[in-house]
Amino acid sequence: MTDRDLVARLELVVAIPGVRAALIAAVDDGLVVHEAVMGDLAAEDVAALVAAFIRRGTELAIGVTSGPPNLVQLMATNGIVVAAAGSEPLWLIAVASPDTELGRLRLLVGDLAGQLK
Amino acid sequence: MTEIPPPLTGPAPQLAFLDLGERLRRRGQLDAALSVVQAGVAHYPTLPEAHDLLARIAADLGDHSGAIAAWQATLECSPGHVGALKGLAYVAFRQGDIATAQDRLEAAAALAPHDAAILGALDRVRVARPATLVEPLPTLGANDARMVLADTQGMRIVGRIGDGQDATADRAAAEASGLVREATRTTRLLGLGDWQEIIVEGPAARAIILPVEETALLLVQRPLTTPVGRLRSLASRGVAAARTWLARGEG
Repeated sequence: MTDRDLVARLELVVAIPGVRAALIAAVDDGLVVHEAVMGDLAAEDVAALVAAFIRRGTELAIGVTSGPPNLVQLMATNGIVVAAAGSEPLWLIAVASPDTELGRLRLLVGDLAGQLK
Repeated sequence: MTEIPPPLTGPAPQLAFLDLGERLRRRGQLDAALSVVQAGVAHYPTLPEAHDLLARIAADLGDHSGAIAAWQATLECSPGHVGALKGLAYVAFRQGDIATAQDRLEAAAALAPHDAAILGALDRVRVARPATLVEPLPTLGANDARMVLADTQGMRIVGRIGDGQDATADRAAAEASGLVREATRTTRLLGLGDWQEIIVEGPAARAIILPVEETALLLVQRPLTTPVGRLRSLASRGVAAARTWLARGEG
């Protein structure tokens, strides 16, 4: 998959109303691979923090879901994080406002992450 | 030089009653099978396979209460015993308690996600179950291995998860607490406010974490066959039940 293909996929995610950022990050080191950020979020911050969250979630997932996680979701009063696993160690991460169509966002992030090679 | 004997195959001689009991059961000699296995259970009261076989013989005899008691004894010896969960689901289904049958099969499916027999039975039970808007809330006690109430320092207060073992539940409580701390840090530094809900999806199951009070959290697990919206609804009602449980000072 070319860089242009990856960016095109991120643009599909940020096209969902309410999505503030979409990025592809390597969770082992928390670094950004590609990004599409709207507004004032720093992609580097998102990648580092969400990667640490995913790594911690992996420990829980192995214990109670029979293996490492495919998708994690974090809801807060002012925003939502949805992240789905691509090929190791890449994850597709989206940050959105609380009124975003969450079902649609989960499906799209999950589908596109599965295409990450 | 002394010749080394070949390794024994099959069950140890003292456990031969399991093999004999099973063969008698399959031949339909249920009373004889029952006598053999009851004697074996008396000698090995902590052997889960003995209780499981006793339960299957009782079920074949139509003794539902005896089967339930024996499968519950199996779970006491081996929490998360898939055969016992399937057996309890079978008896519940025969008794018309479709909700309990579904509950037991979902617990079995979480432990054996690729068991086609369990997944097939789960489909049949779901078809048989009348549509309801509200799923009964599992208990916070020891018999439902899919929900853990913990404090925010990672100490389990009540509940079990996964294979039903205390160690697994303790580890899950600790990991859930650690994940909440990471969520708190993430949402604060990204300006997303206070965390409200965490969902983690793995190969066979989905787990959700919700805050119960400032010092407690609830972890609920269901197989992936449970829709995520239903899991959220169930967990929200679980939080209400947990608050009541804490307020009463149960346990």
